[in-house]
Amino acid sequence: MHLDSKIPGGPLPDKWDRHRFELKLVNPANKKKFEIIVVGTGLAGGSASASLAELGYNVKTFCIQDSPRRAHSIAAQGGINAAKNYTNEGDSIQRLFYDTIKGGDFRAREANVYRLAQISNHIIDQCVAQGVPFARDYGGLLANRSFGGAQVSRTFYARGQTGQQLLLGAYSALMRQVAAGMVKMFPRREMLDLVIINGKARGIVVRNLITGEIETHKGDAVVLSTGGYGNVFFLSTNAMGTNVSAAFRAYKKGALFANPCYTQIHPTCIPVHGKHQSKLTLMSESLRNDGRVWVPKNPGDKRLPHQIPESERDYYLENKYPSFGNLVPRDVASRNAKEQCDNGKGVGKTGLAVYLDFEDAIKRDGKDLIAKKYGNLFHMYDKITADNPYETPMMIYPAVHYTMGGLWVDYNLMSTIDGLFVMGEANFSDHGANRLGASALMQGLADGYFVIPYTIGGYLAGTTLEGVNESHSAFTESTQHVREGIEKLISINGKRTVDDFHKQLGLIMWDHCGMARNDQGLEKARRLIQELREEFWENVRVPGSNVEFNQSLERAGRVADFLEFSELMVMDALVRRESCGGHFNEAFQTSENEAKRDDENFSHVSAWDYKGKDADPVMRKEQLVFEHVELSQRSYK
Amino acid sequence: MNWFLDILRSSIGKKLMMAVTGLGFCGFITAHLAGNLFIYNGKEAFNLYAERLHSLGPVITALELGLLFFAVIHVLTGVTLFYQNIMARPVRYVVNKSAGGRSIGSRTMPYSGVILLVFVVLHLLDFHFVDKTGTTIYKLVETTFAVSWYALFYVFAVIVVAIHVSHGLWSAFQTIGANHPKYMPVIKTAGIIFSISIGIGFGFIPIYILIFT
Amino acid sequence: MTKTINLTLKVWRQKGPEHKGHLETYRADHISTDMSFLEMIDIVNDNLTLDGDDPIAFDHDCREGICGMCGTVVNGRAHGPEKETTLCQLHMRHFSDGDTIVIEPWRSRAFKIIKDLVVDRSALDKIIAAGGYISVNTGGAPDGNSILIPQDIAELAMDAAACIGCGACVASCPNASAMLFIGAKISQLALLPQGKPEAAGRALSMVREMDRLGFGNCTNEKECEAECPKEISITNIARMNREYFKAGYFFSKK
Ligand SMILES: Cc1cc2nc3c(=O)[nH]c(=O)nc-3n(C[C@H](O)[C@H](O)[C@H](O)COP(=O)(O)OP(=O)(O)OC[C@H]3O[C@@H](n4cnc5c(N)ncnc54)[C@H](O)[C@@H]3O)c2cc1C
Ligand code: FES
Repeated sequence: MHLDSKIPGGPLPDKWDRHRFELKLVNPANKKKFEIIVVGTGLAGGSASASLAELGYNVKTFCIQDSPRRAHSIAAQGGINAAKNYTNEGDSIQRLFYDTIKGGDFRAREANVYRLAQISNHIIDQCVAQGVPFARDYGGLLANRSFGGAQVSRTFYARGQTGQQLLLGAYSALMRQVAAGMVKMFPRREMLDLVIINGKARGIVVRNLITGEIETHKGDAVVLSTGGYGNVFFLSTNAMGTNVSAAFRAYKKGALFANPCYTQIHPTCIPVHGKHQSKLTLMSESLRNDGRVWVPKNPGDKRLPHQIPESERDYYLENKYPSFGNLVPRDVASRNAKEQCDNGKGVGKTGLAVYLDFEDAIKRDGKDLIAKKYGNLFHMYDKITADNPYETPMMIYPAVHYTMGGLWVDYNLMSTIDGLFVMGEANFSDHGANRLGASALMQGLADGYFVIPYTIGGYLAGTTLEGVNESHSAFTESTQHVREGIEKLISINGKRTVDDFHKQLGLIMWDHCGMARNDQGLEKARRLIQELREEFWENVRVPGSNVEFNQSLERAGRVADFLEFSELMVMDALVRRESCGGHFNEAFQTSENEAKRDDENFSHVSAWDYKGKDADPVMRKEQLVFEHVELSQRSYK
Repeated sequence: MNWFLDILRSSIGKKLMMAVTGLGFCGFITAHLAGNLFIYNGKEAFNLYAERLHSLGPVITALELGLLFFAVIHVLTGVTLFYQNIMARPVRYVVNKSAGGRSIGSRTMPYSGVILLVFVVLHLLDFHFVDKTGTTIYKLVETTFAVSWYALFYVFAVIVVAIHVSHGLWSAFQTIGANHPKYMPVIKTAGIIFSISIGIGFGFIPIYILIFT
Repeated sequence: MTKTINLTLKVWRQKGPEHKGHLETYRADHISTDMSFLEMIDIVNDNLTLDGDDPIAFDHDCREGICGMCGTVVNGRAHGPEKETTLCQLHMRHFSDGDTIVIEPWRSRAFKIIKDLVVDRSALDKIIAAGGYISVNTGGAPDGNSILIPQDIAELAMDAAACIGCGACVASCPNASAMLFIGAKISQLALLPQGKPEAAGRALSMVREMDRLGFGNCTNEKECEAECPKEISITNIARMNREYFKAGYFFSKK
C-alpha cells in the first residue's frame, strides 16, 4: 500500500490556497442531501459539527459524556498559539511554522504544519467573534503571553481556562445548529465500530450508554475526533473517559495507525500519592518561569526541604542547561526528573518527585506578585496536597499528557479508508514526535473550523455514493460483532475488576514504554501485555448486564482495546531505531544524554496496517520530505 | 398587550411583580410608620394626624384601592411561586444543609408572608373596618392594646414584618436588576436598618401605650 | 504515614428512572485522607464488584474540577462541604474517622435520575440551544483586535463564563432554580460587545425555555452562589433580570 499524503504542489505558502481552489465544491443545494457523522465534541469535533452544519450539511454528532460541552478539551489550561505578532516581536507564520516543526523534532509534515500556522490567525478571530472572553490588555486589545519555551509571546489565553472557553465557544456554535435542526446531537453514545460499504466509511455502530441498546447510524462520511490515548497508562492528566476505542476499531477496519509510540510526558504534574489514585493533575508549565527545580545532592536524603542547606541542593536543570535552565522543553525536563529519581534523589513519600521551589522568586518579587501570577495554581496545589507552596516547595513529577500518534491522515485529513476523516488529537498529523505547548488547541480548531469544511466537500463532490440504509448487511454484521464482544465481557465473571487490569497495564507501559525506553524493557512489556490480555479475557469481572447503564462495561471495552493497542505502541517503539521527541530509546542518545535522531533512516511516519487477530500488523512508511527547513539537533545548553 | 402580560407571567416576570408590589408596601409602611410616630407626641397630635389624613378623602381611597390591588398581586403571585417551587423538586433531599446563603428572612418568606396576611386582615378589622363614631383613634389604639395577648400578637407580627422585609427589600432590588457592586452593600445595610426601624418603631407602640396609660 | 479513616456511607441507589430509590448503607474502611472523594467511591465500588453486587453509578470525567460532569449532594451540600470545590476535588482529609456520609443525587424535576447518582442534565443544553450563543458562522470574523473590550469588562465576562454547567446551582437552590446558570450565560454575552446585537432576543428565548423545562424560581436565597464551585456571583442573575425586562418592554420585536 502506498501512502499518498496528497500534498498539493507549488510553493509552501501557496499550497493551501491552491488546494482549496482545486478541491471540487458541493453545490449548495446538494449539501442538504449529505449526512455527515461526527464522533467527538472536543475542539475538533465541536467546531467541525458546527461549521459543516452552517454550510448546509446534515450532521449527526456523538459523544460519550452527557453533554458535548464536557469533552476533554475543556481541561486545557495554558492557551492557544497564533502568529498574529500583536506583540511586535517579529513573529510570523513562517516562525510559528518553524518552531512547531522543530519542536516536533522534525517528524511532522511540512505542508500540514505550514497550513496550521496560516490558519492560526483566523482561529483567534473566529473565537473572539463567538464571544470567547480572551484576556485583554488595559487598552482593550488582546493579551498575549509566552508559553512552552517559545521566544515570542504568541499565546492567547482566558485565565487558566483557555480550553474551557474555546470549547464553550465551539459548543455554543454547535448548539445553535442543534436548535436550527442541522445537527442532531447524540450524547452518551459510544462508538464501537465503523461500518464500511464498498470500501467507503458509511456509518457507525454505537452503544447507547443509558439503555445499553446497540444503535446503527448511516452517513456519507464519518469524521472521527475522539481525542488521544494517554489513558493507556491508566494514570495521566487526561479525563477518565478518554480512550482509544473509536480510533482503534477504525484501525481494525483498515485505517492505518501512525506513530503510536509518540507520547508526551509533561514535567510538572502533582506526583502520585497512593495506589488508589485515579488521575494526575497538571500544574501549568508557566510555573517553571519562576520556580527552581532541585533535588537533594545526596541520594536518600529524607530531611524536610527547608532543613537541606543550599550547598546540599542540586539545581540540576540550571546546572546542566545553563542557557535554558528551568525552561527546557517538556521532554527534556521530564527525562531529567526521572533520572534524578532513578538515582535515588527523588523526594516525598514515594521518592518519585522533585522540588519546584518559589522561595527565591518570592524573595525577589514579593509574595503578592507571585500570587498574582500563580495564585490559582498554588490554591489548586494546596487543595489537592494540603501543602502551601508559598511556604514549602511544590513537589512535582512528570505525567503522561498528550499523544502525538494517531490515525494516519493525508493532507485532506482523510484516513486510508475513503470517507473516514480524522481530526484533533485522534490523528497523527501536525506535531511530529513532540507537541509544543498551546498548539493542540490550535490544531483541533484548525481542523474543525477551517480544514474539514473544505476537504470533506472535495471528497463528497468527487465520489459517487450509492444509497445505503441501516439494514444493509454490513450494519447487521457489525452490530452482531459488537454485541458478541459485549456479551463475552459480561459472561467472563472472573475475579479481578476492570480497573485492576487497567492499572497493571498502566504500570507496564509507564515502566517500559514511558519516558525512557530500551529494547529489553520493550520486549518485556510486549510479553507482559500479552499475558495480561490473556488473563483479562479469562478473569475480568464485569458486573450487571448490557441492557442498562453500566459504567463497568463501558470501561471494560476501553481497557480491552488498550490491552491490544498498547502492544502496537511497544512494537512501534521497537522499530524506531532512534530517539526523537517523545520517544527516547536509551540506546540512541548523544554524549550529553539528549535524544539522537537518525534522519537518514527514520525520517518517516510509521503507519501500522492491521492484519487480523492472529497476525502482526505491517508497518508502512510515509517518507517525510523537508524542503523548507534544515534538520538540526535540538540543543538547550 | 399580550406581550406585556406574557413577560409578567414568566418566572422572572412573577418575581418582578413580587418586587414591585413589595417595594410598594415598603413605601406604604414607611408612611404608615411616619404617621404612627405622632403617637409619641401625645394623644392630641395623634388624633389630629388621623383627622388630617382622613380629610384627604378620595386620595386615600385611591391609595387604599391601590394597596389592595398590590396585595392581591403579591399574595396570588407569592402563592403561585411557592407552589411552583415545591413542584420543581418533587423528591426532596433526605439531608439538607445550607451553604450559608440563606438568611432567616429568606428561609421563612412564604411562612412569614402567611402570618402577615392574617395579621393584616386582623389589623384592618381592628383599626380600619370598625365603627369609629364616638371614639378617637387614640382611644381605639388604647383599648385594643389593653388586651395583653393582642398586644403581644401585635409585637410578634411586627417582628415578623421586620424579618420579611429584611430579605424582601434587598431582594426586590436584586430582582429588578439593580445590583451594582458599589450600591448593593448600601442597599443591604439600608434594608437591615429599615427592618430594625420598622420592628422598633411599630413594636414599641403597644409597649408605650401599656406603660403610659 | 498516610492517615486512614473509616466511614459509613448512605448512598442513594435507584436502578432506573422508573424505579423507586432508597438509601443503602455501606462501609468504607481504611480510606487514605489523601484520596479524593471519587477515589473513595472507586474503592467502595471495587469491593461491591468483587462481592458480586452492582457498583454505585456516578458521573465524572476530568477529575480536576473543570468538565462539570461530577456532582452529588454530600451530607446535604452540593459537591460536599468545601467551598469553591467540585466533588472530584474534594479530599477525604475534610472528613473524620467514624463519620457517616449521606450521598444523594441532584434533585430537580428538570433532572431525571438515570441511575443511582447519575442524573440527566440535558435541560441545561436545551437552554443553551435556545440562545446561549452568538450567531456567527465560521469564516467571516473580523480581526480579533478590531473590537476593543475594556479589561474590566472582559474580566467580568470571564467571571460569568467560568461556569462549568455542573448543575450544583440547581441542586443547591431551595427552589431548584437554574437562574444562576442562565444568568451567567446571558451576562457573559450581554457584557461583550459581540453579544450585544442579539442580547434582547437571547434573554427572552432562554428564559422562556428555562420556564418550559420546569425549573423553579429564584427567591434570592444565594445558596447557588455559596455552593457554586466556580463562585459565580448572583449579580449575574440581576443582570439577566435587567436584560430580560429591557428586552420584554423595550425591544421592538414581540
Ligand atoms: C490537562 C491538560 C491541559 C492541556 N493544556 C493545553 C494547552 O494549554 N494548550 C493546548 O494547545 N493543548 C493543551 N492540552 C491538549 C489539548 O487539550 C487536547 O489535545 C485537545 O483538546 C484534544 O481535542 P480533541 O477535540 O481532539 O479531543 P477531545 O477534546 O479529547 O474530545 C474527544 C471527544 O470524543 C468523544 N469520544 C471519545 N471516544 C469516543 C467514542 N468511542 N465514541 C463516541 N465519542 C467518543 C468524547 O466524548 C469527546 O467528545 C491539554 C491537555 C490536558 C490533558
Ligand atoms: S469530574 Fe470534571 S468537574 Fe469533577
